Amino acid sequence: MNAAVQAGNVGETLVFWICAFFSVLGALGLIVSRKAVHSALWMALVMINLAILFVANSAPFLGMAQIVVYTGAVMMLFLFVLMMVGVDSSDSLIETIKGQRVAGILLGIGMGLLLVFGLGSALTNSTSVGLDAANGVDKGNVQGIAHLIFTDYLIPFEVTSALLITAALGAMVLAHRERWIPRLTQMQLSRARFAGSGHPGNLPNPGIYARHNAVDTPALLPDGSTTDLSIPGPLVARGGIRPVDHAEVDEVAAITDGGQS
Amino acid sequence: MNPIMASAPALFTIRSVDYRAISPVLIILAVALVSVFVEAFVGRSARRPVQLVLVFGAFLATFIDLITLHATRLVTAAGSVAVDGPALVMQGAIILLAALAAMLMAERMVDPSGDPFAARASSLPGSVDEAEFSARGYFQTEVWPLLLFSVAGMMLFVSANDLLLMFVALEVMSLPIYLMAGMARRRRLLSQEASLKYFLLGAFASAFFLYGMALTFGFAGSVNLGSIADAVSAKPSQSGLLLLAVAMLSIGLLFKVAAVPFHQWTPDAYQGAPTAVTALMATTVKIAAFGALMRVLYVAFGGIRWDWTPMLWIVAILTMVVGSVIAVTQSDIKRMLAYSSVAQAGFILVGVIAVSGKGLASVLFYVIAYGFATIGAFAVVSVVRDASGEATHLSKWAGLGKKSPVTGAVLSLLMLSFAGIPLTSGFIGKFAVFSAAIANGATWLVIVAVIASVVSAFFYARVIVLMFFSEPTEATASVVVPSAFTTIVIAAGATVTVVVGIAPQPLLDLVNNAGLFLR
Repeated sequence: MNAAVQAGNVGETLVFWICAFFSVLGALGLIVSRKAVHSALWMALVMINLAILFVANSAPFLGMAQIVVYTGAVMMLFLFVLMMVGVDSSDSLIETIKGQRVAGILLGIGMGLLLVFGLGSALTNSTSVGLDAANGVDKGNVQGIAHLIFTDYLIPFEVTSALLITAALGAMVLAHRERWIPRLTQMQLSRARFAGSGHPGNLPNPGIYARHNAVDTPALLPDGSTTDLSIPGPLVARGGIRPVDHAEVDEVAAITDGGQS
Repeated sequence: MNPIMASAPALFTIRSVDYRAISPVLIILAVALVSVFVEAFVGRSARRPVQLVLVFGAFLATFIDLITLHATRLVTAAGSVAVDGPALVMQGAIILLAALAAMLMAERMVDPSGDPFAARASSLPGSVDEAEFSARGYFQTEVWPLLLFSVAGMMLFVSANDLLLMFVALEVMSLPIYLMAGMARRRRLLSQEASLKYFLLGAFASAFFLYGMALTFGFAGSVNLGSIADAVSAKPSQSGLLLLAVAMLSIGLLFKVAAVPFHQWTPDAYQGAPTAVTALMATTVKIAAFGALMRVLYVAFGGIRWDWTPMLWIVAILTMVVGSVIAVTQSDIKRMLAYSSVAQAGFILVGVIAVSGKGLASVLFYVIAYGFATIGAFAVVSVVRDASGEATHLSKWAGLGKKSPVTGAVLSLLMLSFAGIPLTSGFIGKFAVFSAAIANGATWLVIVAVIASVVSAFFYARVIVLMFFSEPTEATASVVVPSAFTTIVIAAGATVTVVVGIAPQPLLDLVNNAGLFLR
């Protein structure tokens, strides 16, 4: 920025202060908002402003990568994940350690002041150097990065591939659901349905009672008894069947009768 | 800095890479890739034997390769990799200890349900899926490529002469360990919590390292350690930018060595992770982290040592005192070993503060001696079991020495080594580190260190007293007879501790001949 100020470049200074304001605002919004979706959107604001600053500082490639990769791909993927988890999920504000939040805020402010004043005093009256060297020699941003990747930073660049493979492998390990029995074919399924003691028709719907009609309530057969056939297998395996008490049915009937008479 | 070709056809000069010198890392990476392909294409029943052959073959080949390279001293790949004495010694130690940790990971005799890792890490703890997969004898062989990637990261971490490569290596080292920490077969929720905690705090520490790297680049105009050192000596005036950069980089690295106040992840991660992975974290990661910490501080910031040694003094004192005092109150042996490793990190930092060739050699000696003792201790922890799995609560260790004298004796030996009792490797290590610090004028620090090691001797001795001087009850855990894998690890840990304690000269010669960091 100082070089721009020295050069009397008012436009760049203006861009800096506008983007700086919005990116700091976005960063604060990111940490104070309680809902994860709001945090993600504030984060997108920070990233767009950073991208503008990168472009203004003669790093158009980095700015575009910031928008396309981070704001476009990563943040949107993050939002998708949030949508799956549930948009309404918000952070719990219960402190597990007493005084944790106050201590955290104080230390955070301390750290912020240290950085602002430390960097401020170190960088005031310093001149920016190396911009021409970085952009001029290879006649552009992309060429300059390509040059560095394939010369000075060849090994780090190659090793990054190991990191990506690890990440992919880790995602598979943590998220890939395998089946312990092979998936049944259509033929096998229909055989199983019609042969022996199968249930050829549709399975009964969940029981609908006055107080609950969730999937874990067994269906009521015409003769007044219940059947567990209406309950999904995993629930049965977990023992998640809600027992139906006939006294309850009678009780409801009694209450309705009382209201009418 | 960039020699650009003026002639039209060649756009840039290709930097020469001495592939022979970096071949140990390349072998491990190549086998890791083969190992990933094995996961994809080899049948389920053949995977484990194939992976074991690959992993141990890779470690053997790399170790032989390192021996043939022992006299190599060079910086290659445009100054980003330094293959020097300390790097080669640490790489050798990492390979040996990783091979021992791999044996613990391969152990299938101690747990009646088989593997130490979850049948399927993706199945929910306590679900029908999990029970079915366990009953059908499934196990996860993906840990082997993860182990190899992690080891490759560690080996690069200790020889990275460039902050950018160091950062990438840090991530390659850490990411597989975060994953493996969450894959325990028993107490899976605890394990997953450990993994998440380690991952989140590790990501936070990486961010500090990255910020420090950016500030360093702002100061020096380069991320190469040698160029940073030149910039530091060229601009002798104190710069806030430089001090902030050193602080941030140190935070990132001190997190990995588990120094106070960046140790908060240690007890939970050590306790929750499968014991084999804990052994890996406590030994190889610690060696790698100290290697990188010393390289950054000595090579890049050696010129301003008077600015950062006071900070390290405070961290070292806090680490020794907090680690020792909190370890006294622990009732779980894995948590106690975790705080013990925090305290030990403090003692090692005393050697780092010496900022001399002697200090570097003493730290190398200490981390190697400590690594073998630690891996032996965790191997013993993994065989002491009761019906619920590993019996880590100390009350279940009462009278264990009377029930199983050999196990009790081995663990006692390792505890005495941690405490720094003569005739064990721990004593020689402490002696080397403290004398290096005194030679550099850090007498007060050594006095604090000696007091802290007296406190730490208390809780190490408490385990011995508990095992041998109390009567076994029905709550006392029993020692499971392990397969050859764990037996080798326990034997190696005990043997190295005794042999290095009695005849330390060969190892001392090795670390003294390693010389200094190249730049």
